[in-house]
Amino acid sequence: MTQFLKYVAGIQRRQMLYGTAATLAFLLVSRVVVARQKPVGKAAGGIAHEAGDKVDLVLDINGQERHLSLDGRTSLLDALRDHLDLTGSKKGCDHGQCGACTVHVDGRRVLSCLTLASMASGKKITTIEGLAGPDGGLHPMQAAFIEHDAFQCGYCTPGQIMSAVACVEEGHADDAAEIREYMSGNICRCAAYPNIVAAIEHAKVAMGRA
Amino acid sequence: MQPFAYTRAHSVKEAVEIIHATDKAPGSKAEGDAQTQFIAGGTTLIDLMKLHVVNPARLVDIGSIEAQREWSSVTADKHGLHLGAMASMAAVAEDKDVLRDYPVIAQSLQLAASAQLRNMASLGGNVLQRTRCPYFRDVSFTACNKRNPGSGCDALHGVNRQHAVLGGSDACIATYPGDFAQSLIALDASVHVAGAKGTRTFPFAELHRQPAETPHVETTLRPGELITGFIVPAAPWTRRSAYLKIRDRASYAFALASAAVALDMADGRVRQARIALGGLATVPWRAKDAEASLAGKPLDERSAAEAAEIAFSQANPREYNAFKVKLGKETLTRALLHVATMEI
Amino acid sequence: MANAAAPEPKENMGQPMPRIDGRLKVTGGARYPSDIRLKEPVYAALALSSIALGSISRFRLDAARAVAGVIDIFTHETLSDAIKEQVMMGQSEQAGYAASTIRPLQSASILHDGQIIAIVVADTFEAATEAARLVAPEYDARTPSATFGSDGVTIEEAAKISKKHEDPKIGDAEAALRTAEVKVDNRYSTPVQHHNPIELFTTSCIWDGPKLTIFEPSQTAHGLRFGVAQQLGMNPDDVHVVSSFIGGAFGSKGATTERTALIAAIAKKLDRPVKFVSSRADAFFVSTYRAETEQRVALAASRDGKLTALIHEGHEVTSRPDGYFVGGTDTTTRMYACPNISTKVSVVHADRKTPGFMRAPAEMPYMFVLESAMDELAETLGIDPVELRRINDTQIEPIKGLAFTSRSLMPCFDAAAAAFRWSERNRKPGAARDGDWLIGQGCATSCYPTMVAPATARVSLMPDGTAHVETAAQDVGTGTYTVVAQMAAERLGIDARHVKVTLGDSKLPPAPVSGGSNVTASVCSAVAKACDAINEKLRGSNSQNLAEQFRRLGVSELVEYAETVAPGASPEGIDQLYKGISALGGGPKLKDRIQYAFGAQFIEVAVHSRTREIRVRRMTGAFAAGRIMNTRTARSQLMGGMIGGIGSALLEATEIDRRYARYVNKNLADYEVPVNADIEALDVILVPETDDKVNAVGVKGVGELGIVGTAAAVANAVYNATGIRVRDLPIRLDALLT
Repeated sequence: MTQFLKYVAGIQRRQMLYGTAATLAFLLVSRVVVARQKPVGKAAGGIAHEAGDKVDLVLDINGQERHLSLDGRTSLLDALRDHLDLTGSKKGCDHGQCGACTVHVDGRRVLSCLTLASMASGKKITTIEGLAGPDGGLHPMQAAFIEHDAFQCGYCTPGQIMSAVACVEEGHADDAAEIREYMSGNICRCAAYPNIVAAIEHAKVAMGRA
Repeated sequence: MQPFAYTRAHSVKEAVEIIHATDKAPGSKAEGDAQTQFIAGGTTLIDLMKLHVVNPARLVDIGSIEAQREWSSVTADKHGLHLGAMASMAAVAEDKDVLRDYPVIAQSLQLAASAQLRNMASLGGNVLQRTRCPYFRDVSFTACNKRNPGSGCDALHGVNRQHAVLGGSDACIATYPGDFAQSLIALDASVHVAGAKGTRTFPFAELHRQPAETPHVETTLRPGELITGFIVPAAPWTRRSAYLKIRDRASYAFALASAAVALDMADGRVRQARIALGGLATVPWRAKDAEASLAGKPLDERSAAEAAEIAFSQANPREYNAFKVKLGKETLTRALLHVATMEI
Repeated sequence: MANAAAPEPKENMGQPMPRIDGRLKVTGGARYPSDIRLKEPVYAALALSSIALGSISRFRLDAARAVAGVIDIFTHETLSDAIKEQVMMGQSEQAGYAASTIRPLQSASILHDGQIIAIVVADTFEAATEAARLVAPEYDARTPSATFGSDGVTIEEAAKISKKHEDPKIGDAEAALRTAEVKVDNRYSTPVQHHNPIELFTTSCIWDGPKLTIFEPSQTAHGLRFGVAQQLGMNPDDVHVVSSFIGGAFGSKGATTERTALIAAIAKKLDRPVKFVSSRADAFFVSTYRAETEQRVALAASRDGKLTALIHEGHEVTSRPDGYFVGGTDTTTRMYACPNISTKVSVVHADRKTPGFMRAPAEMPYMFVLESAMDELAETLGIDPVELRRINDTQIEPIKGLAFTSRSLMPCFDAAAAAFRWSERNRKPGAARDGDWLIGQGCATSCYPTMVAPATARVSLMPDGTAHVETAAQDVGTGTYTVVAQMAAERLGIDARHVKVTLGDSKLPPAPVSGGSNVTASVCSAVAKACDAINEKLRGSNSQNLAEQFRRLGVSELVEYAETVAPGASPEGIDQLYKGISALGGGPKLKDRIQYAFGAQFIEVAVHSRTREIRVRRMTGAFAAGRIMNTRTARSQLMGGMIGGIGSALLEATEIDRRYARYVNKNLADYEVPVNADIEALDVILVPETDDKVNAVGVKGVGELGIVGTAAAVANAVYNATGIRVRDLPIRLDALLT
């Protein structure tokens, strides 16, 4: 959120430069979804809804409980992006064919576009926004991606990084060939692949998996 | 996606009871139109629901059944291998027993999809994955007997490079897209199912149905039945086995052709061969005549090529997939020669 | 361990500064247009036609309207007054912005598969997408003409469509071909391709009274602003486009496409912010595509390898109403010395959407053909393919006799050949093996015309040594943010990390389209000029202390705005730029010189001896493109281009069902692009080159260079591996299972 505030502030400054009166402040979300204190555990098992009904969910995302009332069809990806303002996870195909939406659920990399938000209830979800340390320090994988220029447009990057972290933690980063195979579920149309492999080989050392 | 009701089941028993209670029109329509569907990983179902190809009224989420031990376990003993249907593709692909004693199973799982999808997809869901036929997957094409019985088949004279050359009919030539099923069928696996009337076990080879005149009926599962596991019998050929998958790109792609091969060799000759073909047929395809042709022979270029010829003697290619006959033969030949000489 | 991503700068190359937007991109903090949170938005979804030709007789909308949450459904019956006539980008003397003149929802007429026939708006994404699938049109369908060879297509010469195109010609090529000692004369084809950036096509529109704000990933913020204004009949001053981050483009986000103005019109009618995110299947229709081509190239040579004739004919598919073509013969006729050249480009009108530009629009398909033919000629002559290029290398292009501003083709070939160990290649096709794999090596020329456009920028320098650069230029992943900071830092003598760069907003000083590999050259020229003006003001002050100089001048900041045009270009280009038009000039189109970047690519493939799948084992590309601003971002672009070239060579094709003129593989599982496992060893060599004639900063651009020639290098390697010459892309195992 901080970044977005900065971003909007940037627009306003430019607008002043150009002497236009309009403000984009109205674009800002009027409500921020605040984590409430409520145990996740029991609610998780009892989720059910009828067709067309909204479903009330508690999702455990990046260590926070997030309460949502959603169309039952909402994918985990759309819940993150459209309802929680966690837009780091990207929509590239919505059908499990590109990997841009990769998040961790209970410590494993999965595709949030093919996961219903309901199915993720009661599980521990980590997104790109939850990867950096609480002090804002980059995860070694994030730092390695910058250092090795492992992206260009950056759109697939959050998915690549979530996948890369899991790739190392799974023990599938022994050599370049293994990394290439285990990272093939994340398409990079800018084609930073050799740099992605180099970044993972670099980061796995800092992750203690070399 | 059309609206659906959603329930989480807490046991297999509960899951099949919910299905039994809620599926109003069992059996009469295509699986895709079953009113209630189980959902585990969701990798096939959510995909097809977004495309409006499958429109269930109710989902029963079996992904969180708490007593999951048998349901998702991998157990190997002297009788064979038991695979729980809720085990993930990733877990089974990396299981040490499977890797050592049933390499064809590990490889068929490992070479499928992506790491993320293998984490999500269950074995039970995997064997039931639906075809990639573009005319099936795109509801804006009108002629698809599998999706809409009696509507015709746009693939017969359409873009059919990926389509089947084995097991097709004038009603459907959609390819069975999976990999794992080929290893099961090659190894004479059985499948366990649970239904409202109890459980049953039958040969995996009887699970999938060739399209014939009813391509919308893809399996022999009875309405409301749930796959709970697979049994792969121990056999002298399981260790000498491999899965060869040929595709355009190096990973994250469906097979243009694949072969699951297991051999029992003695004194340089084949005692028994087990062969299944993927990417080439409408169902997981067991090539029994080809297997028989190898019995008692040394496995060499000549016997492998003969087996390949036999495997494709009934092939029926179309405009864009004629190459698959040659490719299928070469794939099988290559797989046979590899398995015959692999270190075990 | 050396970091391959950050090559040591050689002569005339800038430092490999990491991307200044890197942190935002690795943390999920970069807000792409669809990431901008709107207040109480409604969601739009498209219904697309399932016929390619005909008209809609009526709609059945009951089922769609009955979906809970649906607000409204817009069709030609309700929105037909929304969109004014529009002019296509770059196809006319008039100011044009649009990808096509086809205006969906303005009549019942259907001119191509996937034409927008209705837009559903609902409270939620789920309701909108559900209802869009329930829109039930009834058609009066006619049999469409799909592509080459289909009944009913019409052929038109490119030279008759556009004054900008003249078929290059010199001497008597047919006569020279007839009497040639050695010749090759073959037909080739390239398929339909879609850009498929991983970011989907998105548009969010918000009205505030008469003012419209559009969040959309765009390669031209100003162009989109004017394009939408033209389509809606608005004052362009009332349109604001924000495109701060773009999730890949490759040409697909260049022209103004149909959906933007429609979404804007709907937002106005509803008086609500409307958010649209296409599906991946929609993405095959929402933007443009690279049209299929059929080409003939004939080459004749004397026994010593000197070219005596070049004939290059190209046919390209386009829509019924629009004569879009790319016409790569402008380039292929400039590659080698040759006394007799004849060319012709024609378009084939079919019932298809209007195509558009995709990475190296003309050069990718046309150079595939020329460079394949060069390899065939080398084989026929028994001359090494590298030497054949050397024999025919020239510093003077043959058509008009103009000198290249710089041309380092052979230094590129020599650098790449050495690194690749080309001399170890077995020239006999099918002779090299590694176990069951047939090994082959091939090479090809890369090139891209050096284009420059008018540009503007504003630079502010603060007393604390920080600076702010503002220009509307876009960063589509190329590194514009970073190289602009580097240029300002270099000129102002400050640390590049102290330069803030603001891009991708139509309220900023206008900049050209991020296309034609021009932006680094064009925008850095403007930035450099503004910085020079600041330096001019600071001159006369003897103090080394910046704060002191500002005090002396009595200012709190120094702000300079600058405009630049290419050397010799008309200053009117700035006026056009202020109307959203990028007056790209250069390449072979100049009167006094010709300017190109060059490269050479070497590729090794392995083809399985039985099953014939093709795997790329290693690739080496050497490129000379004038000044390299940042070796890190330049290498990445070239690498990305080469890998994109592998996609073109081996995988990418949008398949058409000819019966219906419809695409069938509209998804990323069936339209295959390279994945990580497809790319093993890849080496990019940056060859030093200095060129002070192309533009003020001597930059040629590298965004498209890397994809040109790759497919030919692969085809030539496949031939070397198998003895089979494949002249149709993509090269898949089907063609090798003989």
